[in-house]
Amino acid sequence: MINRTTTAALAAAVAAAALMSSGANAQTANADKERCYGISMAGKNDCAATGNNSCAGQSKADYDAKAWKYVAKGSCATMEVTLKDGKKRMGTLAPM
Amino acid sequence: MPAQPDGNGLTDLQHRFAHAVLQAPLAVPSGIRHDVRPTRERRFGVYRNNVKASLAAALAARFPVVARLVGDEFFTAMALVFIERHPPHSPVLAEYGAAFANFLEGFDPAADLPYLPDIARLEWSHHVAFHSADASAADIGRLAELPPEALGSVRLGLHPAMAVIASPWPIVSVWATNTHDATPEAPAAGWTGETALVTRPHLDVLVQRLPPGTDRLVAKLAQGIALGAAAEAVSRAHDSFDLATALSTLFGAGAITTLSQGSSS
Repeated sequence: MINRTTTAALAAAVAAAALMSSGANAQTANADKERCYGISMAGKNDCAATGNNSCAGQSKADYDAKAWKYVAKGSCATMEVTLKDGKKRMGTLAPM
Repeated sequence: MPAQPDGNGLTDLQHRFAHAVLQAPLAVPSGIRHDVRPTRERRFGVYRNNVKASLAAALAARFPVVARLVGDEFFTAMALVFIERHPPHSPVLAEYGAAFANFLEGFDPAADLPYLPDIARLEWSHHVAFHSADASAADIGRLAELPPEALGSVRLGLHPAMAVIASPWPIVSVWATNTHDATPEAPAAGWTGETALVTRPHLDVLVQRLPPGTDRLVAKLAQGIALGAAAEAVSRAHDSFDLATALSTLFGAGAITTLSQGSSS
Protein backbone atom coordinates (compact mmCIF):
# COMPACT_ATOMS: atom_id res chain seq x y z
CA MET A 1 0.00 0.00 0.00
CA ILE A 2 1.34 3.39 -0.88
CA ASN A 3 -0.08 6.31 1.05
CA ARG A 4 0.01 9.97 0.13
CA THR A 5 3.06 10.83 2.25
CA THR A 6 5.14 8.16 0.58
CA THR A 7 4.05 9.35 -2.84
CA ALA A 8 5.07 12.89 -1.96
CA ALA A 9 8.39 11.70 -0.54
CA LEU A 10 9.03 9.62 -3.64
CA ALA A 11 8.24 12.50 -5.97
CA ALA A 12 10.52 14.80 -3.97
CA ALA A 13 13.36 12.28 -4.03
CA VAL A 14 13.02 11.69 -7.78
CA ALA A 15 12.97 15.43 -8.46
CA ALA A 16 16.04 15.93 -6.26
CA ALA A 17 17.81 13.03 -7.98
CA ALA A 18 17.08 14.52 -11.42
CA LEU A 19 18.51 17.84 -10.23
CA MET A 20 21.67 16.23 -8.86
CA SER A 21 22.18 14.38 -12.11
CA SER A 22 21.73 17.46 -14.29
CA GLY A 23 24.34 19.36 -12.28
CA ALA A 24 27.47 17.34 -11.86
CA ASN A 25 27.83 14.06 -13.64
CA ALA A 26 28.15 10.86 -11.70
CA GLN A 27 31.18 10.74 -9.46
CA THR A 28 32.81 7.71 -10.91
CA ALA A 29 36.28 6.62 -10.02
CA ASN A 30 37.27 7.44 -13.58
CA ALA A 31 34.79 10.16 -14.60
CA ASP A 32 37.17 12.94 -13.61
CA LYS A 33 40.02 11.35 -15.48
CA GLU A 34 41.10 11.72 -19.07
CA ARG A 35 42.82 9.27 -21.38
CA CYS A 36 46.45 10.17 -21.70
CA TYR A 37 48.51 8.49 -24.41
CA GLY A 38 52.18 7.72 -24.46
CA ILE A 39 52.92 7.92 -20.75
CA SER A 40 52.24 4.45 -19.39
CA MET A 41 54.89 1.93 -18.46
CA ALA A 42 54.75 -1.53 -20.01
CA GLY A 43 51.89 -3.48 -18.48
CA LYS A 44 50.52 -0.45 -16.65
CA ASN A 45 48.26 0.98 -19.36
CA ASP A 46 44.50 1.20 -18.85
CA CYS A 47 43.79 0.46 -22.49
CA ALA A 48 45.05 1.17 -25.99
CA ALA A 49 43.83 2.68 -29.25
CA THR A 50 45.07 -0.09 -31.52
CA GLY A 51 48.06 -2.25 -31.94
CA ASN A 52 50.01 -4.69 -29.92
CA ASN A 53 47.73 -5.28 -26.98
CA SER A 54 44.08 -5.88 -26.32
CA CYS A 55 43.61 -3.73 -23.26
CA ALA A 56 44.33 -3.06 -19.63
CA GLY A 57 47.78 -3.92 -18.44
CA GLN A 58 48.78 -5.54 -21.69
CA SER A 59 51.11 -3.01 -23.29
CA LYS A 60 54.51 -4.53 -23.91
CA ALA A 61 56.64 -1.39 -24.14
CA ASP A 62 57.23 1.56 -21.82
CA TYR A 63 55.54 4.77 -23.00
CA ASP A 64 53.81 3.05 -25.93
CA ALA A 65 52.39 5.94 -27.96
CA LYS A 66 49.14 4.05 -28.57
CA ALA A 67 48.56 2.90 -25.01
CA TRP A 68 46.68 5.19 -22.66
CA LYS A 69 46.24 5.61 -18.96
CA TYR A 70 43.58 7.47 -17.03
CA VAL A 71 45.01 10.58 -15.39
CA ALA A 72 43.33 13.47 -13.59
CA LYS A 73 41.52 15.73 -16.05
CA GLY A 74 43.70 18.53 -17.34
CA SER A 75 46.94 16.92 -16.25
CA CYS A 76 47.71 14.84 -19.34
CA ALA A 77 49.57 17.48 -21.36
CA THR A 78 51.75 18.26 -18.34
CA MET A 79 52.95 14.67 -17.92
CA GLU A 80 56.53 14.49 -19.07
CA VAL A 81 58.21 11.17 -19.60
CA THR A 82 61.82 10.41 -20.44
CA LEU A 83 62.15 7.89 -23.23
CA LYS A 84 64.86 5.24 -23.49
CA ASP A 85 66.94 7.42 -25.83
CA GLY A 86 66.91 10.22 -23.26
CA LYS A 87 64.43 12.39 -25.17
CA LYS A 88 61.59 13.94 -23.22
CA ARG A 89 58.00 13.90 -24.36
CA MET A 90 54.64 15.09 -23.04
CA GLY A 91 51.49 12.98 -22.85
CA THR A 92 48.82 13.61 -25.49
CA LEU A 93 45.05 13.25 -25.49
CA ALA A 94 45.11 11.32 -28.79
CA PRO A 95 47.22 8.35 -29.86
CA MET A 96 50.55 9.43 -31.36
CA MET B 1 41.53 -32.04 -40.77
CA PRO B 2 41.52 -35.55 -42.29
CA ALA B 3 39.17 -38.00 -40.63
CA GLN B 4 40.90 -40.09 -38.00
CA PRO B 5 40.58 -43.81 -38.45
CA ASP B 6 40.04 -44.09 -34.70
CA GLY B 7 38.04 -40.96 -33.77
CA ASN B 8 37.14 -42.02 -30.25
CA GLY B 9 40.69 -43.02 -29.49
CA LEU B 10 41.90 -39.57 -30.48
CA THR B 11 39.27 -37.81 -28.36
CA ASP B 12 40.21 -39.97 -25.43
CA LEU B 13 43.90 -39.25 -25.92
CA GLN B 14 43.21 -35.50 -26.16
CA HIS B 15 41.29 -35.62 -22.88
CA ARG B 16 44.04 -37.48 -21.09
CA PHE B 17 46.63 -35.16 -22.64
CA ALA B 18 44.80 -32.02 -21.50
CA HIS B 19 44.32 -33.49 -18.03
CA ALA B 20 47.97 -34.43 -17.66
CA VAL B 21 49.14 -31.03 -18.91
CA LEU B 22 47.43 -29.31 -15.98
CA GLN B 23 48.17 -31.88 -13.29
CA ALA B 24 51.91 -31.84 -12.77
CA PRO B 25 52.26 -35.09 -10.82
CA LEU B 26 50.52 -37.10 -13.55
CA ALA B 27 52.67 -39.09 -15.91
CA VAL B 28 52.84 -38.36 -19.61
CA PRO B 29 49.78 -40.15 -21.04
CA SER B 30 50.37 -43.46 -22.70
CA GLY B 31 49.67 -43.22 -26.39
CA ILE B 32 52.03 -40.27 -26.77
CA ARG B 33 54.75 -41.62 -29.02
CA HIS B 34 57.86 -42.27 -27.05
CA ASP B 35 60.62 -43.05 -29.48
CA VAL B 36 63.31 -41.55 -27.29
CA ARG B 37 62.57 -41.95 -23.62
CA PRO B 38 64.09 -38.96 -21.77
CA THR B 39 62.95 -36.32 -24.29
CA ARG B 40 59.34 -37.51 -24.08
CA GLU B 41 58.98 -36.14 -20.54
CA ARG B 42 60.94 -33.04 -21.40
CA ARG B 43 58.81 -32.31 -24.45
CA PHE B 44 55.61 -32.82 -22.53
CA GLY B 45 57.07 -30.44 -19.95
CA VAL B 46 57.17 -27.74 -22.62
CA TYR B 47 53.38 -28.06 -22.98
CA ARG B 48 52.92 -27.86 -19.23
CA ASN B 49 55.04 -24.74 -18.95
CA ASN B 50 53.41 -22.97 -21.87
CA VAL B 51 49.88 -23.71 -20.76
CA LYS B 52 50.51 -22.67 -17.16
CA ALA B 53 52.53 -19.59 -18.05
CA SER B 54 49.84 -18.34 -20.41
CA LEU B 55 47.07 -19.02 -17.88
CA ALA B 56 49.08 -17.19 -15.20
CA ALA B 57 49.59 -14.27 -17.61
CA ALA B 58 45.85 -14.21 -18.35
CA LEU B 59 45.10 -14.05 -14.62
CA ALA B 60 47.64 -11.25 -14.13
CA ALA B 61 45.98 -9.28 -16.95
CA ARG B 62 42.54 -9.89 -15.44
CA PHE B 63 43.54 -9.06 -11.85
CA PRO B 64 46.08 -6.23 -12.28
CA VAL B 65 45.35 -4.62 -8.89
CA VAL B 66 45.67 -7.92 -7.02
CA ALA B 67 48.96 -8.43 -8.87
CA ARG B 68 50.15 -4.95 -7.96
CA LEU B 69 49.22 -5.42 -4.30
CA VAL B 70 51.13 -8.68 -3.88
CA GLY B 71 53.89 -8.13 -6.46
CA ASP B 72 54.52 -10.00 -9.69
CA GLU B 73 56.58 -12.83 -8.22
CA PHE B 74 54.06 -13.62 -5.48
CA PHE B 75 51.19 -13.30 -7.94
CA THR B 76 52.70 -15.78 -10.39
CA ALA B 77 53.35 -18.31 -7.64
CA MET B 78 49.81 -17.83 -6.34
CA ALA B 79 48.36 -18.11 -9.86
CA LEU B 80 50.17 -21.42 -10.41
CA VAL B 81 48.60 -22.86 -7.26
CA PHE B 82 45.20 -21.63 -8.44
CA ILE B 83 45.67 -23.13 -11.92
CA GLU B 84 46.54 -26.48 -10.38
CA ARG B 85 43.48 -26.47 -8.10
CA HIS B 86 41.09 -24.84 -10.54
CA PRO B 87 42.01 -25.82 -14.09
CA PRO B 88 39.93 -24.13 -16.79
CA HIS B 89 36.62 -25.83 -17.57
CA SER B 90 35.93 -23.84 -20.71
CA PRO B 91 38.05 -23.34 -23.81
CA VAL B 92 37.13 -19.63 -23.63
CA LEU B 93 40.00 -17.88 -21.87
CA ALA B 94 37.79 -14.88 -21.08
CA GLU B 95 35.76 -17.11 -18.76
CA TYR B 96 38.77 -18.17 -16.72
CA GLY B 97 39.25 -16.77 -13.23
CA ALA B 98 35.70 -16.73 -11.83
CA ALA B 99 36.84 -18.86 -8.89
CA PHE B 100 39.94 -16.75 -8.15
CA ALA B 101 38.37 -14.54 -5.46
CA ASN B 102 37.05 -17.52 -3.48
CA PHE B 103 40.39 -19.25 -3.88
CA LEU B 104 42.15 -16.20 -2.39
CA GLU B 105 39.97 -16.43 0.74
CA GLY B 106 41.49 -19.78 1.55
CA PHE B 107 45.01 -18.96 0.40
CA ASP B 108 46.98 -18.66 3.66
CA PRO B 109 50.12 -16.95 2.32
CA ALA B 110 47.91 -13.98 1.30
CA ALA B 111 46.03 -13.83 4.63
CA ASP B 112 47.89 -10.61 5.55
CA LEU B 113 45.80 -8.82 2.92
CA PRO B 114 42.24 -9.69 4.01
CA TYR B 115 40.74 -7.32 1.43
CA LEU B 116 42.41 -9.15 -1.47
CA PRO B 117 39.41 -11.45 -2.22
CA ASP B 118 37.04 -8.47 -2.47
CA ILE B 119 39.47 -6.61 -4.74
CA ALA B 120 39.54 -9.74 -6.90
CA ARG B 121 35.70 -9.77 -6.93
CA LEU B 122 35.70 -6.15 -8.07
CA GLU B 123 38.23 -6.89 -10.81
CA TRP B 124 36.31 -9.96 -11.94
CA SER B 125 33.07 -7.91 -12.13
CA HIS B 126 34.97 -5.28 -14.10
CA HIS B 127 36.09 -7.98 -16.53
CA VAL B 128 32.62 -9.52 -16.80
CA ALA B 129 31.03 -6.09 -17.32
CA PHE B 130 33.42 -5.44 -20.18
CA HIS B 131 32.18 -8.57 -21.98
CA SER B 132 28.50 -8.25 -21.02
CA ALA B 133 25.65 -7.56 -23.40
CA ASP B 134 24.95 -3.99 -24.48
CA ALA B 135 21.86 -2.18 -23.27
CA SER B 136 20.90 1.48 -23.47
CA ALA B 137 20.80 3.22 -20.13
CA ALA B 138 17.58 5.05 -19.20
CA ASP B 139 17.80 8.75 -18.41
CA ILE B 140 16.55 9.89 -15.02
CA GLY B 141 14.46 12.48 -16.85
CA ARG B 142 12.10 9.66 -17.84
CA LEU B 143 11.46 8.90 -14.18
CA ALA B 144 11.03 12.58 -13.31
CA GLU B 145 8.45 12.96 -16.08
CA LEU B 146 6.13 10.34 -14.57
CA PRO B 147 3.14 11.61 -12.56
CA PRO B 148 3.89 11.41 -8.78
CA GLU B 149 1.22 8.77 -8.18
CA ALA B 150 2.85 6.49 -10.77
CA LEU B 151 6.29 6.53 -9.12
CA GLY B 152 5.47 4.04 -6.38
CA SER B 153 4.56 1.26 -8.77
CA VAL B 154 7.29 1.76 -11.35
CA ARG B 155 9.74 -1.09 -11.79
CA LEU B 156 13.33 -0.30 -12.70
CA GLY B 157 15.18 -2.79 -14.90
CA LEU B 158 18.91 -3.21 -14.23
CA HIS B 159 21.65 -3.17 -16.84
CA PRO B 160 23.03 -6.67 -17.66
CA ALA B 161 26.60 -5.44 -17.18
CA MET B 162 25.91 -4.05 -13.70
CA ALA B 163 27.43 -5.55 -10.55
CA VAL B 164 27.47 -4.55 -6.88
CA ILE B 165 30.23 -5.67 -4.51
CA ALA B 166 29.78 -4.82 -0.83
CA SER B 167 32.91 -5.04 1.27
CA PRO B 168 34.02 -4.27 4.83
CA TRP B 169 37.18 -2.81 3.19
CA PRO B 170 37.64 0.37 1.13
CA ILE B 171 37.82 -1.65 -2.09
CA VAL B 172 36.87 1.19 -4.45
CA SER B 173 39.58 3.48 -3.06
CA VAL B 174 42.19 0.73 -3.13
CA TRP B 175 41.18 -0.29 -6.64
CA ALA B 176 41.14 3.28 -7.98
CA THR B 177 44.49 4.37 -6.59
CA ASN B 178 46.20 1.17 -7.70
CA THR B 179 44.67 1.51 -11.16
CA HIS B 180 45.29 5.19 -11.82
CA ASP B 181 48.18 6.32 -9.64
CA ALA B 182 51.87 5.64 -10.05
CA THR B 183 52.20 5.86 -6.25
CA PRO B 184 49.15 4.42 -4.45
CA GLU B 185 47.49 6.77 -1.96
CA ALA B 186 45.74 5.88 1.28
CA PRO B 187 41.92 5.92 1.12
CA ALA B 188 40.78 9.53 1.65
CA ALA B 189 37.83 8.54 3.83
CA GLY B 190 39.91 6.23 5.99
CA TRP B 191 40.01 2.46 6.18
CA THR B 192 36.24 1.91 6.15
CA GLY B 193 34.01 -0.40 4.16
CA GLU B 194 32.88 0.55 0.67
CA THR B 195 30.34 -0.87 -1.74
CA ALA B 196 31.38 -0.83 -5.37
CA LEU B 197 29.06 -0.33 -8.31
CA VAL B 198 30.39 -1.60 -11.63
CA THR B 199 28.61 -0.50 -14.78
CA ARG B 200 29.34 -0.22 -18.47
CA PRO B 201 26.90 2.35 -19.85
CA HIS B 202 28.82 2.72 -23.12
CA LEU B 203 32.19 1.26 -24.03
CA ASP B 204 34.05 1.96 -20.81
CA VAL B 205 33.59 0.12 -17.55
CA LEU B 206 32.87 2.52 -14.66
CA VAL B 207 33.60 1.82 -11.02
CA GLN B 208 32.21 3.95 -8.23
CA ARG B 209 31.23 3.95 -4.58
CA LEU B 210 27.59 3.31 -3.77
CA PRO B 211 26.04 5.52 -1.08
CA PRO B 212 24.81 3.71 2.11
CA GLY B 213 21.89 1.34 1.64
CA THR B 214 21.90 1.66 -2.14
CA ASP B 215 23.10 -1.93 -2.57
CA ARG B 216 19.97 -3.02 -0.64
CA LEU B 217 17.82 -0.97 -3.01
CA VAL B 218 19.51 -2.60 -6.00
CA ALA B 219 18.84 -6.05 -4.51
CA LYS B 220 15.13 -5.20 -4.13
CA LEU B 221 14.91 -3.79 -7.65
CA ALA B 222 16.61 -6.92 -8.99
CA GLN B 223 13.83 -8.98 -7.41
CA GLY B 224 11.32 -6.98 -9.45
CA ILE B 225 10.00 -5.07 -6.43
CA ALA B 226 8.41 -1.74 -7.38
CA LEU B 227 10.26 1.48 -6.52
CA GLY B 228 7.83 2.57 -3.77
CA ALA B 229 7.97 -0.68 -1.80
CA ALA B 230 11.71 -1.10 -2.37
CA ALA B 231 12.54 2.44 -1.21
CA GLU B 232 10.30 2.13 1.83
CA ALA B 233 11.84 -1.17 2.95
CA VAL B 234 15.40 0.15 2.60
CA SER B 235 14.57 3.47 4.34
CA ARG B 236 13.17 1.55 7.29
CA ALA B 237 16.26 -0.64 7.61
CA HIS B 238 18.92 2.05 6.98
CA ASP B 239 18.75 5.45 8.67
CA SER B 240 21.40 6.94 6.42
CA PHE B 241 19.70 5.83 3.21
CA ASP B 242 18.88 8.74 0.89
CA LEU B 243 16.68 7.80 -2.06
CA ALA B 244 17.57 10.90 -4.10
CA THR B 245 21.32 10.21 -3.88
CA ALA B 246 20.76 6.53 -4.58
CA LEU B 247 18.67 7.17 -7.71
CA SER B 248 21.02 9.88 -8.95
CA THR B 249 23.99 7.51 -8.58
CA LEU B 250 22.28 4.55 -10.22
CA PHE B 251 20.90 6.51 -13.18
CA GLY B 252 24.11 8.50 -13.52
CA ALA B 253 26.14 5.29 -13.79
CA GLY B 254 23.81 3.84 -16.41
CA ALA B 255 22.71 1.04 -14.07
CA ILE B 256 19.02 1.40 -15.00
CA THR B 257 17.82 0.46 -18.47
CA THR B 258 14.04 0.17 -18.33
CA LEU B 259 11.07 1.73 -16.55
CA SER B 260 7.90 -0.31 -16.52
CA GLN B 261 4.58 0.00 -14.79
CA GLY B 262 3.13 -2.87 -12.82
CA SER B 263 0.53 -3.22 -10.11
CA SER B 264 1.95 -2.20 -6.75
CA SER B 265 2.32 -4.85 -4.12
